[in-house]
Amino acid sequence: MFRSTAVKILAGAALLVIVLGVLRYKPWQRRDQPMEAARASLNVGFLPVTCHLTCPVTDFATRTSATTRFESQRFTDFPTIVESIKGGRLEATFMIAPLAMKLREQGVPVKILYLGHRDGSTIMVRSDLPAKDLRDLRGRVFALPSKYSNQNLVLRKLMEDQGVKPDEINFVEMPPPDMPGALASRAIDAYFVGEPHAAKAELDRSGRVLYHAKDIWPQFISCVLVVTENLIREQPEVVRDLVRGIAESGEWAESHRLDAAKVAAPYFRQDESVVRYVLTQPPDRVSYRMLEPTDAEMEQIHRMALKAGILERPIDMKDLIDRSFIPPHIRAAEISVN
Amino acid sequence: MKWKAIVLPIVVAAALLAVWAGVWATGAFHESAFPSPLAVARGFGEEMRSGRLLNDSITSLFRVVCGFLLAVGVGVPGGLWLGQVLAARLAFLPIINFFRNLSPLAWMPFAILWFGVGDAASIFLIFLSVFFPIVLSTMAAVANIPAVYFRVAEDYGLHGRERLTQVTLPAIMPQVITTLRVTAGLAWLVVVAAEMIAGRDGLGFAVMDSRNGLRTDLLVTAMIAIGLIGIVIDRVLVQLTKIPSVRWGYDR
Repeated sequence: MFRSTAVKILAGAALLVIVLGVLRYKPWQRRDQPMEAARASLNVGFLPVTCHLTCPVTDFATRTSATTRFESQRFTDFPTIVESIKGGRLEATFMIAPLAMKLREQGVPVKILYLGHRDGSTIMVRSDLPAKDLRDLRGRVFALPSKYSNQNLVLRKLMEDQGVKPDEINFVEMPPPDMPGALASRAIDAYFVGEPHAAKAELDRSGRVLYHAKDIWPQFISCVLVVTENLIREQPEVVRDLVRGIAESGEWAESHRLDAAKVAAPYFRQDESVVRYVLTQPPDRVSYRMLEPTDAEMEQIHRMALKAGILERPIDMKDLIDRSFIPPHIRAAEISVN
Repeated sequence: MKWKAIVLPIVVAAALLAVWAGVWATGAFHESAFPSPLAVARGFGEEMRSGRLLNDSITSLFRVVCGFLLAVGVGVPGGLWLGQVLAARLAFLPIINFFRNLSPLAWMPFAILWFGVGDAASIFLIFLSVFFPIVLSTMAAVANIPAVYFRVAEDYGLHGRERLTQVTLPAIMPQVITTLRVTAGLAWLVVVAAEMIAGRDGLGFAVMDSRNGLRTDLLVTAMIAIGLIGIVIDRVLVQLTKIPSVRWGYDR
């Protein structure tokens, strides 16, 4: 009696795993895509923020192209991206610039090949506060996405310029998606983050724009394209395709803003109207041109990161930046949206 | 009696829905902070039509079932051994208690570093969260078998394998099955934490993803799916208590 019941339960458990496994992996879907296997393919990490918009656009553009297929892999936070790189499971991704420097400092062999965007970050303040600049935010609670973000560094610079001491504003770190809600419920008084998490508060009317990033630091950089040295060594052509794909997608997005919102929204799984708002209100809120990193601006971020104590020792910027994959001529990608 | 078991829960659920709609109607919260039942119903429809909800549910079930069965497969024999061998119990108990207290959230970075993002990392986290309770509970069940059972077994000349299958296992089964019910609930509970890192699918990922996408309606959709599937899992495991050879343990 006991034995036969045990056998039945074991068989049931095994059957359950098999059925779920088959439903999960859908083996019948694999066979009808022989073309897919023939083409090289690379996963590129991104977060659903407009700073990383060119990543899903490149994915969209290479769905049927003859060259490498770039599959955008959506993450929910930067720590997971970092751990995936360290674990050797992700070779190319977008990330905040100072974090790439931190990785390099820790001895993780990564290089910055290109920028993700220019501008596209915003300082929001509660709409019922009369604040005109950072001096009016003394004693207030101010949220930042991460201490490794360039937003943090730029803000420190702006505070210095306006004569606000570091401890006069109460900083908290917070996941960007929580910021609009926290502002609406008055848990925080202001925040500085990549779009569309700022525009969300603007659309809700719970916040207003204090500064666009471009007002503080013209051609502001927050995110860069990072690739492992291993990938550069083993598949330089794929890397070249990737940088060209990003560049051409950026050029296309610059001149097809409404279409770009339409393409990116499903990848971000965000409301298209929010993405559209960011890309058009005003049109220069975020830009996808001039994405070649210059020595001067990267050196400035490096210096500020050292000063803020984010980096413990200087790193050799020549090892970190590699501009050799950037195409000499950038034309807009040919993308048809329907 | 029978109809009460069906009608009463529906009445409570409907009342809860009414409270939800009522709070929403007062307009005390912004729509994005407190989605209306209607918006959630629309989100539910959207997720069903795209097939995402079904796919996410299957994915999560697959991970939870794998993690849970692995934990049962290692944990129950481990608990049996620890329950029978005093020296082993003395040696391992502090370590097991140590690991039992670590939240799967704390293991998350290592799960990604060792297993990447995907099924293996999630299964690992689910395994960790249920393995230790299963070991401890099985061990306690064995250690608490009245000594008189074994004396009787001795009189009947039962040793080794026979004693295990005819005395020890039947004696602990009721408690083990109760443990399985509790830990299966636990495994399903940690699915959100375990799938925060899942990469591209799963109900826990859907929760994190709708949060990222600023879509509280889809967030509630995923929460409802998690709750409903949790009820089904428990109902299935209740069937184990009806097996004739263990039913004695539940009779009062």
